[in-house]
Amino acid sequence: MSRIIGIDLGTTNSCVAVLDDKGTPKTLAAGDGERTIPSWVAWAPDGRIVVGQRARRQAVTNPAATIYGTKRLIGRKVNADDVSWFARLAPFRIVAAPNGDAWVRVHGQPISPQEVAAHILRAIRKTAEEALGEPVTRCVVTVPAYFDDAQRQATRDAGQIAGLDVIRILNEPTAAALAYGAHRVREGRRIIAVFDLGGGTFDISLMSVENGIFEVLATGGDTALGGEDWDRRILERIVDEVFDQHRVDLTTIPMAMSRLREACETAKKALSVDRETKVALPFLANDQHGAPINYERTLTREFLEQLTKDLLDRLEAPCVRALADAGLDPASAEIEEVLLVGGMTRWPAVQDVVERIFKRKPSKGANPDEVVALGAAAYAGILGGESDDAQLLDVTPHDIGIKVGDSGFALVVPRNSMLPVRARRLFATTSDDQKFVSIELYQGGEDKEVSKMRKLGQVVLDDLPKGPAGTVRVELVMTVDVEGILSVTAREIKTGKEASVTIRPSGGLSQREIVEIITRRRTESSHVGLLPGGAVRVTTREHMVAKPDEDS
Amino acid sequence: MAAGALSIKLRCASWQQLATIYYRDLSRGTMFLKASNPPAIGTSVRIDLTLPSSSVIVLTGTVHQHVNDTQRGAGVELKLAPIPTGSVWMIESALASEARRESGAPAEPLKTGPVPTVTEGAEISEAETELIRALTAEAESMKKLNPFLVLGVSYEVTDGEVRAAFGELTKKYHPDRFARYESTQLRSVAAEIFILIRDAYRKLGDAAGRTQALTALNKGGPDRIVPARAATANPVMQQQQRRTPPQGVPALSGAIPRATTDAKGPMTGAIPRAATDVKGPAVTGAIPRAATDVKGPAVTGAIPRAATDVKSGPIRALAATVAQPPQRPDPHEAGTVRKPPEPALLESKPGPTIPIKQTGAIPAHVHEAGTVRKPDPTATPPPMPIQPGDTAAVDELIDAGKFEDALVAFRMLAKKHPNERVYRAGIELAEGLKAMAVRDRLEAAQRFEAALEIDPSNERAARELAEMRRQATNERKGLLSRLMGKKE
Repeated sequence: MSRIIGIDLGTTNSCVAVLDDKGTPKTLAAGDGERTIPSWVAWAPDGRIVVGQRARRQAVTNPAATIYGTKRLIGRKVNADDVSWFARLAPFRIVAAPNGDAWVRVHGQPISPQEVAAHILRAIRKTAEEALGEPVTRCVVTVPAYFDDAQRQATRDAGQIAGLDVIRILNEPTAAALAYGAHRVREGRRIIAVFDLGGGTFDISLMSVENGIFEVLATGGDTALGGEDWDRRILERIVDEVFDQHRVDLTTIPMAMSRLREACETAKKALSVDRETKVALPFLANDQHGAPINYERTLTREFLEQLTKDLLDRLEAPCVRALADAGLDPASAEIEEVLLVGGMTRWPAVQDVVERIFKRKPSKGANPDEVVALGAAAYAGILGGESDDAQLLDVTPHDIGIKVGDSGFALVVPRNSMLPVRARRLFATTSDDQKFVSIELYQGGEDKEVSKMRKLGQVVLDDLPKGPAGTVRVELVMTVDVEGILSVTAREIKTGKEASVTIRPSGGLSQREIVEIITRRRTESSHVGLLPGGAVRVTTREHMVAKPDEDS
Repeated sequence: MAAGALSIKLRCASWQQLATIYYRDLSRGTMFLKASNPPAIGTSVRIDLTLPSSSVIVLTGTVHQHVNDTQRGAGVELKLAPIPTGSVWMIESALASEARRESGAPAEPLKTGPVPTVTEGAEISEAETELIRALTAEAESMKKLNPFLVLGVSYEVTDGEVRAAFGELTKKYHPDRFARYESTQLRSVAAEIFILIRDAYRKLGDAAGRTQALTALNKGGPDRIVPARAATANPVMQQQQRRTPPQGVPALSGAIPRATTDAKGPMTGAIPRAATDVKGPAVTGAIPRAATDVKGPAVTGAIPRAATDVKSGPIRALAATVAQPPQRPDPHEAGTVRKPPEPALLESKPGPTIPIKQTGAIPAHVHEAGTVRKPDPTATPPPMPIQPGDTAAVDELIDAGKFEDALVAFRMLAKKHPNERVYRAGIELAEGLKAMAVRDRLEAAQRFEAALEIDPSNERAARELAEMRRQATNERKGLLSRLMGKKE
């Protein structure tokens, strides 16, 4: 009875969907009729925690305690480049947790992004429970395909804090493809590209669809590139202009920054449609003499395109790499369709870039804000055994290998390997009568230097039999399961002695800390200010997805 | 009310189980109980919850609603009275300390844990255990199949057919198909099977891959990858070796060692795939780079060196390929047609010493050469003459369903060539098929297993066994689904 909900936990907006009685995924609307919930959480002055549109609305008056963009922080270290960039312009404080993780500080209290995300998830859960009229305990949550396992685990932890059993973490582009393609089971194989540019992350996935099998051929992306970067460019520009004219640094005035941020996002959205728009911010701040600054300016699309040219360039490399990994040539017309997902794909210049890379017009049929949640719900149905017409086959987003020598990287599981996967390699000792080998596991990245890669763990095999260098051999077996969890076994060939380790990804919070957060919540009895319950409005996939492929 | 009160004893066998119940149910003030015959709404319930530490926590509540949970089945949801803080504290601290104790491997993410059950639970978990057993057996028998048989496709298959076969199997065996069951073991066994399927798909996905796979099979020689665990079992290797068609090897052995010594390394040409296939426990495909690696000064003693192929090795490493019966594809013809790729496949056999010396610095190679060298003597003396005509004739009998005749024929052949495993395996196969015909599945399975033990390359036996195992799995699945009240 208890249905599994599908949640798209987005950088700027989140969305929830579920399979209806006919087995069709549909998004659920909150009481106010909105089908997306802004991923914003605020600690109001009266101590209440508000989520969603209400948090967003009061951001102007309460900027330091209104948190957004949690997805950029979750499972991340505070010293990562894009985190520090984000921190510089965020009106709230981003601090380092003892383990170096990026946390936020609200009213002097450090809070993990997992906990903030849990507030959003709890609100989503409530929306779903009100809409369905039954308790909801289980969910499928989507993340960008390019998320690493720390980010995935942190997302999972957020679910646990919110009292949700996250039965599966699903990749957003795969979910989108499922929602988009599941109902058109046609004979033959089709290759589609899913281009997903959301608020804060960029993903490109190339997949083949045939008889309900959605096989990811290659995936790539940038976990720190999204619509908010476009907003930020406008914002930085205005901040500079105000400083040049009035010698006032707006970044020190949280309320001004809040208004500015809203205005920038609105302007960007307007420019997606119109060629120019006006930004008017009366009484934005006071200048040095105490006189009010009334900011007003006309922005043109061309101007914003100029400001963000380098962002567009960053879209290209992951696409090219994914195409090469999948062995696809965009010129050869193998790719039948390019599917746009994420709000930022509404930006005309982005569509032009997509068209240039893939040499075909992208499809705009799907509602890019909801298609991911719909796919998550569809897959939840499959996991729950309610339907079995489709199966997703995802891949490892990153190379996995070990350190050899001082800084060499020996690849064991190449990126874009279909999951689950098992790979073996044989290694040999490098000195006579070597006592043990210590195998350090790394996740590969753009950088070839091991020192710049993320270390996943280590397995040590000792009591090796004596023998000259090179004669004692150790077989390494790596298995990555469907959820991307890595287990490694090292075995000495002659004696058969084994050592193994399962890398439980850590999202930064220990199980104990999670329990503590849950307990604290119980005693605090915090109110989650959600929108009042009311009539449920639903959209089915048919309403949302136009049928562009009828004539193709 | 009190008169109608229901008293239930629940025991949490593990902290994991407790954690699941606690986070999913208790912390929300509710609890789900399976019940085929649910008590009326409003019935008060008392639950004595025994913790793994044997302390007992008493929970009280009332039946709040009847639910038909899609995953947990029919049952009732209880609304619990507030749990005494003492008990909450007890659970929390126990779980926290347990998590601490297990840190390094912190508690499993709280997934679909076991559900406490009033009745029925035992039946379901028993059915799950049965299914696990069936799947495990199936995984074992699939490991004995070559990639074509794993996917159940013919040797002249097209890309589309490979994908279609893979798709069908995926819908059956992908671990996500087992997500609805409580046992995580079920998922991991399914993953084992699925890995075999995906590896076969990766191998046979395109024409080039299929050619290589076929070449490897037809040669019937060192390609017979033995699962790593069995790598020490030399008898298997020897016997495989003997199976090598005598014609191909000597002819090639003259030319090949030259080629390999001249070339930059064992992986000359564009055949990395075949190279890995050949080298016994697949991991031992050495690459030239590794050679330089190993020669370089060892800076830190504890650092393992890469000695295997990077790209092609790992992916297909697991597939446990068992060779064809030599009679199927004509070895003569195969030998001539597929000569070009052979050098790389055979180089290690005819002159094992050369590669060893040459690549002495590559430890992986030593291993490879070692396994090859042993069987070599048995390969050089003319291997028992396989008379393709003979087995082909008997095969026809089998294909025609005349198992009794085939049995007689095999017995005669076995008498004439007492050392020939093919015929002895044939006897078992024919016996097995006979048993199948009268639906004696146990006997049949034993016979097929015996046939495979005698001759691991007996394709028919492997296929029959795999098919039987698959049916067994399907039946168990069906039973479990019925128990869980689900359509399959």
